[in-house]
Amino acid sequence: MKIGDQVQNLGARVATIQVLAFVLLALLGVRLYFLQIVNGEYYSDRAESQRVRFIPIPAPRGAVFDRYGRLLVDSRPTYNVVLSNEPLKKINVADRVDDYSRGLGLERQFVIERLNLIKQQNEFEAMVLKENVDMRDITWVEAHALEFPELRVELQPQRYYPLGTTLAHVLGYVGEISPKQLEDPAYQEKGFRPGDIIGKGGLEQYYDEYLRGRPGYRKVLVDSRGRVQSELEVVQPQSGQDLITTIDLDLQLEAEKRLADTPTKRGTIIATDPNNGEVLVMASAPSFDPNIFISGRSSPDGRRAIAAYWQDEKRPLFNRAIQGHYPPGSTWKIPESLAGLQQGAITVEKSNLVCGGGITIGSKFTRCMGSHGSPPLSYAITKSCDGYYYRLALKMKIEGVIQMVETFGFDKRSGVDLPNEKVPQTPKSHMAGVIKREGKWSDIRTVYSGIGQDTVVVTPISMLHAVAAIGMRGQMVTPHFLKEFRSIAAVGSEGQSDYFAQRAGFGYKDPEPRLIEATPDQWDVVIKGMWGVVNGGGTAGSIRIPDFDIAGKTGTAQVAALGKDVGDKKDHAWFVSFAPAYKPEIAVIALIENVGFGGSFAAPAVRGVYDAYLAKRPGHTPQEVAAK
Amino acid sequence: MVAIPEKRDLRDFDWLTAVLALAIASFGVWQIHNAMPSEGYWTKQIYGIGIALVAFVVVSFTDYRRLIDSAPIFYVIGLILLLLVLTPLGVQVNGQKAWLRIFGLQFQPSEIAKISTVLMLAKYFGAKKGGTLTFREMAVGGAIFAGPVALIMLEPDAGQAITYLPILGAMFFLSGIKMRYVVLSVVAVAIFVPAAYITGVKTGFIKRYQQERINAIIDPDSVDPRGYGYHTIQSTITVGKGGLSGIKGDTETSQSVLKFLPEPQTDFIFAVTAENTGFIGCVSLLLAYALLLSRLIAGAREASDRAGMLVIMSIVCGMVFQICMNVGMALGVLPVIGVPLPLMSAGLSALLSTFVAIGFVVSVKLRRFVN
Repeated sequence: MKIGDQVQNLGARVATIQVLAFVLLALLGVRLYFLQIVNGEYYSDRAESQRVRFIPIPAPRGAVFDRYGRLLVDSRPTYNVVLSNEPLKKINVADRVDDYSRGLGLERQFVIERLNLIKQQNEFEAMVLKENVDMRDITWVEAHALEFPELRVELQPQRYYPLGTTLAHVLGYVGEISPKQLEDPAYQEKGFRPGDIIGKGGLEQYYDEYLRGRPGYRKVLVDSRGRVQSELEVVQPQSGQDLITTIDLDLQLEAEKRLADTPTKRGTIIATDPNNGEVLVMASAPSFDPNIFISGRSSPDGRRAIAAYWQDEKRPLFNRAIQGHYPPGSTWKIPESLAGLQQGAITVEKSNLVCGGGITIGSKFTRCMGSHGSPPLSYAITKSCDGYYYRLALKMKIEGVIQMVETFGFDKRSGVDLPNEKVPQTPKSHMAGVIKREGKWSDIRTVYSGIGQDTVVVTPISMLHAVAAIGMRGQMVTPHFLKEFRSIAAVGSEGQSDYFAQRAGFGYKDPEPRLIEATPDQWDVVIKGMWGVVNGGGTAGSIRIPDFDIAGKTGTAQVAALGKDVGDKKDHAWFVSFAPAYKPEIAVIALIENVGFGGSFAAPAVRGVYDAYLAKRPGHTPQEVAAK
Repeated sequence: MVAIPEKRDLRDFDWLTAVLALAIASFGVWQIHNAMPSEGYWTKQIYGIGIALVAFVVVSFTDYRRLIDSAPIFYVIGLILLLLVLTPLGVQVNGQKAWLRIFGLQFQPSEIAKISTVLMLAKYFGAKKGGTLTFREMAVGGAIFAGPVALIMLEPDAGQAITYLPILGAMFFLSGIKMRYVVLSVVAVAIFVPAAYITGVKTGFIKRYQQERINAIIDPDSVDPRGYGYHTIQSTITVGKGGLSGIKGDTETSQSVLKFLPEPQTDFIFAVTAENTGFIGCVSLLLAYALLLSRLIAGAREASDRAGMLVIMSIVCGMVFQICMNVGMALGVLPVIGVPLPLMSAGLSALLSTFVAIGFVVSVKLRRFVN
């Protein structure tokens, strides 16, 4: 120290400052070591996770065709306004509601729902705010890019059902995966995320795994506001596989027209090829337009239309063919006849049973519609003699009826490749409950079960499944829509992270073809009876087609007690059939709700399908009907 | 006032200090470039260094004693500039009126006034002959100090005002303030600061965002990473990801280029340095500062009069304080206060004032043998 002063200890004071300065700098150095050397990797990862984003590239779903390659479903590119979560975190979303709803013409309530939903998602998720936008919306988003960095316009494939209500129940529709499904481990396993589009109902749902493509993604670098700076990696999506169905669109349209012409406009028609189980027709009326579920979610009108479908008492979303439970009425007599022969309750040689115009059980008389004396089996079928079957059921006993249920698969689903098929209810499933409630299984219930009432309700598909097997003399095949899934080529280069392997094409394989055992003359006598229904002065003689022998059976399913069966409570009309009778090519069933006698509405509806079938049978080419 | 350099002057000129300061400033230019390669801050900083160097040379070869003699004039000029900031001539940025625009030139008077305040205080305390500091002297010193600081608080620029504190502290400490007062004040601070914080929170005097900033230091995981803790968290990430040797100017992953790190060219220039040059670069920079400070302190020891010694040591204390505040903030151990890093942060005014201060030191050293 040049200038010294003992009292002030100047040198020591300067030295103190110097030491203090070095100590402080050394402490900073220690902190640096801790941050950069000890925890460097942790901070490096944190930095990476905030600057790298994965933007999914949606994959187009596979298209769906009818058996002749006519288009039933495809995907169209549409522009959607997408809302990304990340920039939204920094702002008060309530401020945006008015801007979005005014700018994009959206309902306020919907915008609020969307914003709330996306706020619950993880960071960096994106969600569609408005689908199928027009030039005006795109311009609005672009013009407000700085103001609303969370909005962007994306080209995304959108499902399109060109035929509208036609085949709606079979095709189903697609939609965003529901929160409930997201919690389901089965979906979690497959890596589904909020906003993913999956099949809902119909073939879209059943074959979702194959129809759905593998989405690709863009790995991008973003700045702190989430704006893309550069692209680091692109993985191209792989489209879904195209589905060729067994549907014959010509027959389908005819069936739908027939249903629309009935007085109640409610019912179902199914047609299959009994030789292999291919479903040619499955119509259920009333129907719905799946396109409303695709594009209607964001618009007020669309949401009202969807709500109306759910609330409609006629249940347009309900697939009557596989979900409807109806008493089979007299159609039940066909499998019952064969079971009676199988079990020895009657024989081919001595099949006569008394009609008696009805039967008295205890003090209660249950009548037959006619007086048929003591008819043989074929005649009983042709005339649909209730008295005969009251007694046949009593002879078979309820155990025999249950055995018949098992033989014809009425205790399980037909196995058709659609979701949500219902299982019929029969004495087999009711037995335990009835005995618990009433103490025993009374004879009157056995009598009713002989004519397909009381404890018996079936789905139309299960009835067609059973009767088609009778036409095929015991060969029982599973009804199905899948004809072929086309293969799809590999995407990307093998061994790389962007590689999606080729997905092989495949056809339908019956999981359990069965054979019902009976002797040829047993088959003959039942089929002869069914032949007679149409061709031998039976209950459906009016639909006879020369040179094309239909074997069938009418049914009239009682909905309400006698005397109350009017108006809405009228009987359901059935007609189940196959043709030609002795070498079946096609089996058709119709159920028309609340129209009364089966011969009067159901049989003519089936006849319409046969006419359409015959119109193109020898060498006829299918007409172009895609543009309906 | 400016003397023509003589041959002896050049021989005695403190080249090492000058080169060190220039080296740190040049390193700073590189970091400003790394912070925002596409913006013009780094070229502006090069011009700033040019201007600062001219000022540095002029001050170095000027007899510091004559500058100290004229201290009252500089002091008054400084006060006038600070007053002008509060008039419509002042430029408002982010709610603060800290800038002055005259003839198209924009500068920060609070940085310039720092030098004049140092000179004024050195003139007053330099005249003291010896013995312990009296209350009267403390009062006068405090009054000199209070003038510019009060005007800066009116801007309001608390961060800048805080950087004046070590100047006064150094003056008092080296003018023989009794050690018991030093101990007392250290104890008082140790008790008062936490107590003030707690009562401040309870009475609502400390605002929520200020609390958040402090919480971000104490417990970074508890605060909203997008709220007021954002600066601290992003700065810590930026420093940490630098690792051992840094990303060396890679713009693909740069936290500042991607705008995750706010104010990278000024307040958070140290975080940029840490990201780009890693632990090696940061420690080298801290060592360079230590070396520079050692040179300055050595100069103080050799000063031929009390005023010169006081000027140097208050500049040293000011620099140490700013380095620790700024780096501590970047490392997430101190709350976010806008204090520039000497010689590194972009900004002409701070650069100029630092170089002028170092020029002063060189001038003092140059005249160590006189009389």
